Amino acid sequence: MTILTRLEQWKADGVISPDQHALLAGLSRGEPFSVALELNILLYLGVLSFVGGLGWTISAWSQQLGDVLILTILSALLAACFWYCFSRAPAWSPAETPPPSLAFDYVLYLGSLTWSVELAYIENRFHWLSGQWDFYLLATAAFYFFLAYRFDNRFVLSLALSSLAGWFGLTISHWPSHQDAVYRQYAILYSLTVAGAGFILERRGLKAHFFGTYLNIAANVLFWALLSGVFNRQEYLVWFLGLLAACGASLAWGLKRRQFSFVAYATVYGYVGVSSVLIRNMNDAPALFSYFFLTGVAMLVMLVQIARRFGREQ
Amino acid sequence: MRAYSASDEEALRARNLLKDWAGEGFLTPAQYERMEQDTVCELRRTNIFLRLVLFLFTLIIVGAAVALFYWTFMRRTGVQESGIFLLICAAICYAAAEFAVSQARLYRYGIEEALAVCSVGFLYGGMQAALFEGHRYSPQPDGIESLVPAAGAILSLWIWRRFGLPYAFLAAMIFTVWLPGYWTSSHSAQHLIVAAFYAAGLVTVAPVRSRYRFTYLDQGYSIVEALLWLGVYVAINLQLSSVDLFGKWWVGARAITEFSRPFYWATWVLTWCLPPAMLARGLRRKDRFVIAAGAVAALLTFVTNKPYLGWTRHSWDPMLLGALLIAAGLLIRRWLATGPAGIRYGFTAQRLSGKDKRWMSVGATALAFVSPQAITPSPQTGSPAQFGGGDSGGGGASSDF
Repeated sequence: MTILTRLEQWKADGVISPDQHALLAGLSRGEPFSVALELNILLYLGVLSFVGGLGWTISAWSQQLGDVLILTILSALLAACFWYCFSRAPAWSPAETPPPSLAFDYVLYLGSLTWSVELAYIENRFHWLSGQWDFYLLATAAFYFFLAYRFDNRFVLSLALSSLAGWFGLTISHWPSHQDAVYRQYAILYSLTVAGAGFILERRGLKAHFFGTYLNIAANVLFWALLSGVFNRQEYLVWFLGLLAACGASLAWGLKRRQFSFVAYATVYGYVGVSSVLIRNMNDAPALFSYFFLTGVAMLVMLVQIARRFGREQ
Repeated sequence: MRAYSASDEEALRARNLLKDWAGEGFLTPAQYERMEQDTVCELRRTNIFLRLVLFLFTLIIVGAAVALFYWTFMRRTGVQESGIFLLICAAICYAAAEFAVSQARLYRYGIEEALAVCSVGFLYGGMQAALFEGHRYSPQPDGIESLVPAAGAILSLWIWRRFGLPYAFLAAMIFTVWLPGYWTSSHSAQHLIVAAFYAAGLVTVAPVRSRYRFTYLDQGYSIVEALLWLGVYVAINLQLSSVDLFGKWWVGARAITEFSRPFYWATWVLTWCLPPAMLARGLRRKDRFVIAAGAVAALLTFVTNKPYLGWTRHSWDPMLLGALLIAAGLLIRRWLATGPAGIRYGFTAQRLSGKDKRWMSVGATALAFVSPQAITPSPQTGSPAQFGGGDSGGGGASSDF
């Protein structure tokens, strides 16, 4: 029985009204056919391509064009983008706010990326902060966070989180010796900061729908950092215990909130970490194959149980 | 021929649509609950994350089991015996996939998919080892050896037909790419043969799918048609299928030496003719996947046009392309919005499905994973005259001296 036949039947049974039937039958026949997603992708690719070309052109022609012209063009573009956004934005609300138009989110994204280009150009040409890139990144992250929350834009939020991650990474790169352990600690600090900030903002009702983005990024950074510690030949125990704790927390969170990406993180990162510890001194091929076979079966059984109990809905 | 009954798959499609409509507010919760009861089906499904993880662990189990058996019992056997062993593994995997579907009623569950994928892999490896003692692919024409990719393509097609997995059809298309290499050493002929195979697929699929419009099979056929259109396009676009792809793109050299001039320029003309044809068909049928394939092909035509003509690329080319895309998006949106109730010729720019929003949300989150590299500037290490960078996604913050 096709969906159209079912809709007829539901209308005849009085489950849906004739108006609803007309709407839903039309939707299932593609009438009207929405191209909203396609237009969004077109604009996103357009902005990315435009800014990519802008950066390339500036890098290739900076000497011929001169600082004044380049900065004038970039500043004009930046001002136009932000004027558009600030003049057309609806009043701020802590709840999710739809953009006033299709172009709005992408104008903001274009402005944000242009800001990065201009800042990079200024620092490279004039060294106002004597190469202290980390301050630029921190300032940029703060600016992006402001824009993301003011205009309710996930793209800019992602840029903000990336800039913040860059700041954490770049700060360490100034240190005289680069030690993996230090990087790892900063990565963990970053993920805890992001998760904590996201949690607090969600609890306060400030753009609570951003929380998923915060948590997914924090979880992945945390798992990568812990795994890199587990892969060490020495002094890995604390990282291993940390990984187990993180996996437990991720699994519990995923099952409680029905967010199965966290179940997947816990399963895959946990399996990789535990396996790396258990098989690091295993040189016997049959033992290795047996290990993967038996643990694979165990994981599969566990996952099927989880899927049966919690993850039925697609 | 399908492993699942039509009523089950129709019920699943109805459930998905109901969920989407309820999410968009087209149905009240009470209506949704009532209607959902009419769409109960026996198939066992799971969400995308668990499906991926189940797929991964099934691959690990199968790989480890086969390796363990081989190591324990067949380590000292010859290549042909190993090939036969792999063929037996292929049969077992396929039987296990059928069992998982018929007995456990798994549907897009990861497990049965991984088993089916393993059966294709084992069949390919097993045939190669059993019949040709593991000879690697060589560009020398040898018609008999083409049996191996042909068998891979046929099994992949069967799995697509039987289990409805779109990526099995893609695998069949990839196997097909290898076929002409066994038959002829002429690159032009190879391109033509691959394009002819895909075109034959299109001719076969197009009339069949019209029978299944508005049914659960429509989306599957739509994906297949889009893949075939893209396949034809990629086969005829010599700049895309060239081996030294990126080198040729950057220096703008023509790949004309290995092809005759008429063939080369005929393919160039076709790269401009195909995208409008694809877009027109997609729009006429309101087929999302074919429209997407047409848009991708159009984009690729713009990107590969200069290398095709042997012209030099300019740094502002991406800017022009970006401006074109933005202008096209805004103009289409405006044109649609000015129609009665925001609809023109049955198309609207309004969002009607919660799926669109979810996709954008996932895309925006994924962006944060890929942009740290792009947005993090490199420390300064060179002459101030060289202002560099401007990677997309980082908006030039990756610039360096």
